[in-house]
Amino acid sequence: MNYETVIGIEIHCELKTKSKMFSGAPVAVNMQPNTCVNEIDLGHPGVLPSLNKEAVRLSVLACSALNLKINPVVRFDRKNYYYSDLPKGFQITQQFHPIGEHGYIDLELEEGTKRIRINRLHMEEDTAKQYHADDETWIDFNRAGTPLIEIVSEADIRSAKEAMAYVEKLRNILVYLDVTDGKMEEGSLRCDINISLREVGTEAFGVKTEVKNLNSISNIERAIQAEVERQSALLNAGDVVEQATRRYDDGTKTTILMRKKEGTVDYKYFPEPNIPPIRLDQKWIESIQTSMPELPDVRHARYIGLGLSDYDAQVLISNKALSDFFDKLLKHTSYVKLAANYCISDLLANISQKELHDESYALKIEEMGQLITGLGKQDISSKQAKDIFVELLKGKDYQATIKELNIEQVSDTSVLSALIESVLAENEQSIIDYHNGKDRALGFLMGQIMKKSKGQANPALTNKLLLEELMKRKA
Amino acid sequence: MKRLDVQGFKDLANQLRFSLSDEEANDIKNEFDVLIDQMDLLNKIDTEGVEPMVYPFDEETSFLREDVAIQVLPVQEVLKNAPKEKNGFFVTQKVVG
Amino acid sequence: MDITKLKEMKSVQERVDEAVNKSHAYQADLNAMVSFIDPSEQIENLKHIDPQAPFYGVPVVLKDLVNMKGTVTTGSSGILENYVSPYDATITEKLRAAGAIIIGKSSCDTFGMGGTNMTAWTGPVMNPYDLTRMSGGSSGGSAVLVASGVVPMAIGTDTGDSIRKPASYNNIVGLKPTYGRISRYGVIPYASSLDHVGVFTRNVKDAALSLEVLAGRDDKDMTSSQLPVEAYAKLLNSDLEGKRIGIIQNVIDAIQNRETLNLFKDLCDQLTAKGALVQSIHLDEKLMHAFLPTYYIIANAEATANHANLDGLRFGVLHEGNSMEESMIRSRTAGFGKLLKKRFVIGSYALFTENQEEVFRKAQKVRRLIVEDLKRVLCEVDVVIAPASAQGAPKFDDVSIDQLSSEYLIAENYMALANFSGYPSITVPMGYVDGLPVGVNLTSAAFTEQLLLNVALAVEESTGIKDMIKEPKR
Ligand SMILES: [Mg+2]
Ligand SMILES: [Zn+2]
Repeated sequence: MNYETVIGIEIHCELKTKSKMFSGAPVAVNMQPNTCVNEIDLGHPGVLPSLNKEAVRLSVLACSALNLKINPVVRFDRKNYYYSDLPKGFQITQQFHPIGEHGYIDLELEEGTKRIRINRLHMEEDTAKQYHADDETWIDFNRAGTPLIEIVSEADIRSAKEAMAYVEKLRNILVYLDVTDGKMEEGSLRCDINISLREVGTEAFGVKTEVKNLNSISNIERAIQAEVERQSALLNAGDVVEQATRRYDDGTKTTILMRKKEGTVDYKYFPEPNIPPIRLDQKWIESIQTSMPELPDVRHARYIGLGLSDYDAQVLISNKALSDFFDKLLKHTSYVKLAANYCISDLLANISQKELHDESYALKIEEMGQLITGLGKQDISSKQAKDIFVELLKGKDYQATIKELNIEQVSDTSVLSALIESVLAENEQSIIDYHNGKDRALGFLMGQIMKKSKGQANPALTNKLLLEELMKRKA
Repeated sequence: MKRLDVQGFKDLANQLRFSLSDEEANDIKNEFDVLIDQMDLLNKIDTEGVEPMVYPFDEETSFLREDVAIQVLPVQEVLKNAPKEKNGFFVTQKVVG
Repeated sequence: MDITKLKEMKSVQERVDEAVNKSHAYQADLNAMVSFIDPSEQIENLKHIDPQAPFYGVPVVLKDLVNMKGTVTTGSSGILENYVSPYDATITEKLRAAGAIIIGKSSCDTFGMGGTNMTAWTGPVMNPYDLTRMSGGSSGGSAVLVASGVVPMAIGTDTGDSIRKPASYNNIVGLKPTYGRISRYGVIPYASSLDHVGVFTRNVKDAALSLEVLAGRDDKDMTSSQLPVEAYAKLLNSDLEGKRIGIIQNVIDAIQNRETLNLFKDLCDQLTAKGALVQSIHLDEKLMHAFLPTYYIIANAEATANHANLDGLRFGVLHEGNSMEESMIRSRTAGFGKLLKKRFVIGSYALFTENQEEVFRKAQKVRRLIVEDLKRVLCEVDVVIAPASAQGAPKFDDVSIDQLSSEYLIAENYMALANFSGYPSITVPMGYVDGLPVGVNLTSAAFTEQLLLNVALAVEESTGIKDMIKEPKR
């Protein structure tokens, strides 16, 4: 039978705030256990929540970028369940009135643009982190109370490829907004994927399963593939898919049952009585929106406007740290295309993503700008540029490196003229070719001169002198 | 209102993570019967078109807390009440499911 | 003797020693204290406090729901028997900044969930006027400690009438201000939308003074009010000229006890003589009959969630099982009394998705109608008034209460009006019925505490009952 895959995605995203959603304890990663908590995060008797302004600002920002309608009155609800990672015995979330509703993002796919609708975006708090030993569970409450947004898509996604594109694009937008660091492997962005199959041409949804906590884009692809295979095998055999929560096991490349949905817990949602409705100032919302950082799509268009290829622009914007670097580099050179090439290949090959992200590299951007300009003006050859770049990566300056590597160029006109003379004498046919309009001849002659000078001839000056000499000979 | 039998109340209690003795469950069942009678008093009231009152006052507020990390407990205070603790972690018997 | 006079008459050491000694001496008879706090460090700390501070060196007691850093706060429950607060409630900070010396924590119904104080983990609290009778609850310990002269002020909380009813049974003043007037941060909740922090004192002036110290905006409690705090004590004025006082006729009609009714009538006559415009008002009788179930459903639904944090994993008494889930179940089963379990089960029933509209949200809708009805009445009068109870404190073994009678449904439960609405409400001594004290209750519109206290002062002057101390005697 022929099945269509129907996918909806829920993303939990940790917000980049200093303090927690409802308490003044610090949000911190990689700290000693239970050192970033207070009585509120621990759910001690008598505590009350106090809502973080920055978390609301970041949520408004995310809503705006995802085209969601913002609800100016912020309300919270309680989601009740008992678990050792949930200190209060309820999670404060926005069940009934999410801060954002009915948005979308557009994916650029090979077959064209596809719009994925977003059902809602709501604010909530994270749980504690648990470590399971043989017969014990260890709990660290540092993560408890960390501000989260949950973004729920409509079931508009039809393949693993679309799912990957959706998550990547969403993550990229949120990272551009500086709403989150977006690190999936560290859990700051977590995906739950709802998957069902239906016969091609039918309307009704099939029974869905939810695959929880996918921690990389590639795992999203593999998990969907595995789950689609599993479900279609069931359906083909005339069996039914059971509604359940599953997880993806990277070792066996299969999804594994966590719990069945039947007899599921009733979360008994009700409005949080300790947080009265908060009306957001319309001016504040507008000021957040007008000061919105440049989004990836806008940046892409800007790069195209600068003359970059679609491919180069894509590669740059898909990596915000790299793209930010590129933008800074453009302050120091006007050779845009060369700068882009250098960022995409040479820079990425030599600097780790982490260094790029933390700006912890030794390389000085203004020195790299000089290098690109030198290359652009053909003051140096591309071979020389590569040698110089290796030194710049260590934190050295451009001019000093040129001296140090003794690749000072030959710019002495008499020396260059002599070189040109001898090359032209050896290649009379090329002179004729050039005058007959064969452009390639010029390149050939330049190459010969560079070779003879062991690459040290100033390319720009040499080119100029060569052209003058050729003009003379035409007459 | 749906009436529950003794076992029904025991199951409900279990969802709330405590258990009831037969006596306790019976006691609740009896109290529940009184409540159902009292609910009739409530059901006599026409609430058509009335919004549930969640807060004593309907006024919206505007306060949001500034994002500063100033309220942290020293780890000794965090763990002082911990019934079980190891290497700075709270410890419980293994979580099932 | 009011607090100001107490400060003039006795040294800090004298007044604190006296309070500590009495609290120990009366413990066998009253059973009002859950834990005692050594005051020496606080007395030492007074050197950082302005001697003019309103509670400078004045001994006070906290209901055992109020956190104070480094002290045991049990909520009069089993599960928190060993809980040592790692933080201060906002009111604890305020009291200490005002110079108060906190000498201990008082008994209450577990987590404030009761009206008898018989459900306290440490056992029932006795009424100093008759040790075979209950103190009332849930703030029973605080009430009897003030009534018996141990401390001039004690903190209580009030979710249905938990300050105002015990005040009535113990011949003292019990004030529950407007919702949001006093921060709830650090006070163990019963039901968040109905909970109020308030005070017991032996006279109206002390209640006003206490409110001044405790009231005010607290950013840690998002429901706390931004309105400025008035100089309640300084502005106290018992002039009733032109004040409109509305007798809640439904309550009067429901009360059977002639003595209570006569006391009340005498009081109203005196208030009229002082220039007040006293008139009868009627609340919607159908709504009044629904007070109790409305209250019971909302309070217990919120309470079930509020106490889901008690699982023995991070604090409290752990009874270990073979898994995390089993440990939770054992700890909660062992640490909750049967009354608590009953309330949690019923509260949870009301919240189930299939019941929520019909039960919980229905109660919330009726709550709105009740509040609108009160608002209507408070357009016509400045305060509403009625006896705070139909008679004196019941005996411990009193089983005569018919839970569906009007006297029970209306006369004994109407004070929840002020919790539904969040309006300020105060109980002041009214007189004696069968030799037992009975109070009178006044309620006014939101944030009109000054008006309420002024009328309360006039009541106090009319009855002449103030600064009463009843030492417990067998
Ligand atoms: Mg979800
Ligand atoms: Zn969520």
